[in-house]
Amino acid sequence: MDNTAYRHPISIGDGNVYCNNVTNSHNNTVNNIIADENPEMMKWLSPLDTRGRHHDVRTDRVDGVGNWLLETNEFREWRSNGGGADKAVLFCSGNPGVGKTYLR
Amino acid sequence: MIDDLCDGPCSEEIAIAMFYCDFRDQREQTTTNIMGTILKQLVVRGQVLEDVQKAFQKAKNEVGGRGLRLPDMMQMLRQAVATLPRVFICIDALDECFPKHLLELLTSLKHILQGSRGARIFFTGRPQVQAEIEKRFTSSVIVPISPKTHDIKRFLEKKLEMDTDSDAMSDTLRADILRIIPQRISGMCVAESLVLISFTILH
Repeated sequence: MDNTAYRHPISIGDGNVYCNNVTNSHNNTVNNIIADENPEMMKWLSPLDTRGRHHDVRTDRVDGVGNWLLETNEFREWRSNGGGADKAVLFCSGNPGVGKTYLR
Repeated sequence: MIDDLCDGPCSEEIAIAMFYCDFRDQREQTTTNIMGTILKQLVVRGQVLEDVQKAFQKAKNEVGGRGLRLPDMMQMLRQAVATLPRVFICIDALDECFPKHLLELLTSLKHILQGSRGARIFFTGRPQVQAEIEKRFTSSVIVPISPKTHDIKRFLEKKLEMDTDSDAMSDTLRADILRIIPQRISGMCVAESLVLISFTILH
């Protein structure tokens, strides 16, 4: 995990901000740095921030649970652009508590 | 899922934005704010960053500093999505969105898709929002989610590992939990299953 975001906490947004790095991906790390450098602009775009919530979900989820979705043809086609513009939307539908948020 | 997209090949070419709808924040989670949160995550570099910075400076210079309205936001977001080769927008728990915001949100997302070939949208939600999604995205792919036995077992194993009250546990009880609960649970929600687990452990 890249700790860049921990060293430069961001104090924008509403109550669900925890100022944590989202993922180890390049884009998100860059995004966090840009957010640090432009706090006013980010607040102007939206007072909401999802990073705290995403961090909680990542922390709480159990590795391996929900992996089956990534193996389905539906997900693979959607991800790879295989279905063209027609299949641009994937909807995972389920009753409360079945684990939709924690799908991997 | 989001982490999987991030960790995939060519991650530098892929931009990912996510949003978790929450009924407790319904008032704040307006379409404009949700779109703004998505745009915030796409402001990574190059053209997109420059465009947004310019718009921000312009708004700041106007008397009183003008707040963003949905049409302004949509224009910026469409421009950003069109600039990026591949964009994944993931929105969790659509059903927790205020109903009026939900319809506006879906319509706005439809407009974004229309302006881009590389954009992909992922939704999760309760089955009741399916009709509204299908109305706007006629070829959307629907995947029904229900707890899989393997997932439940894995989840239980993890929770048992973390059990702070280890004196109450025995090998037999552990084996019974891992055998009986996944059998009975299919179709049942995880929250209910947790009640069942506590019940099993206590009695």
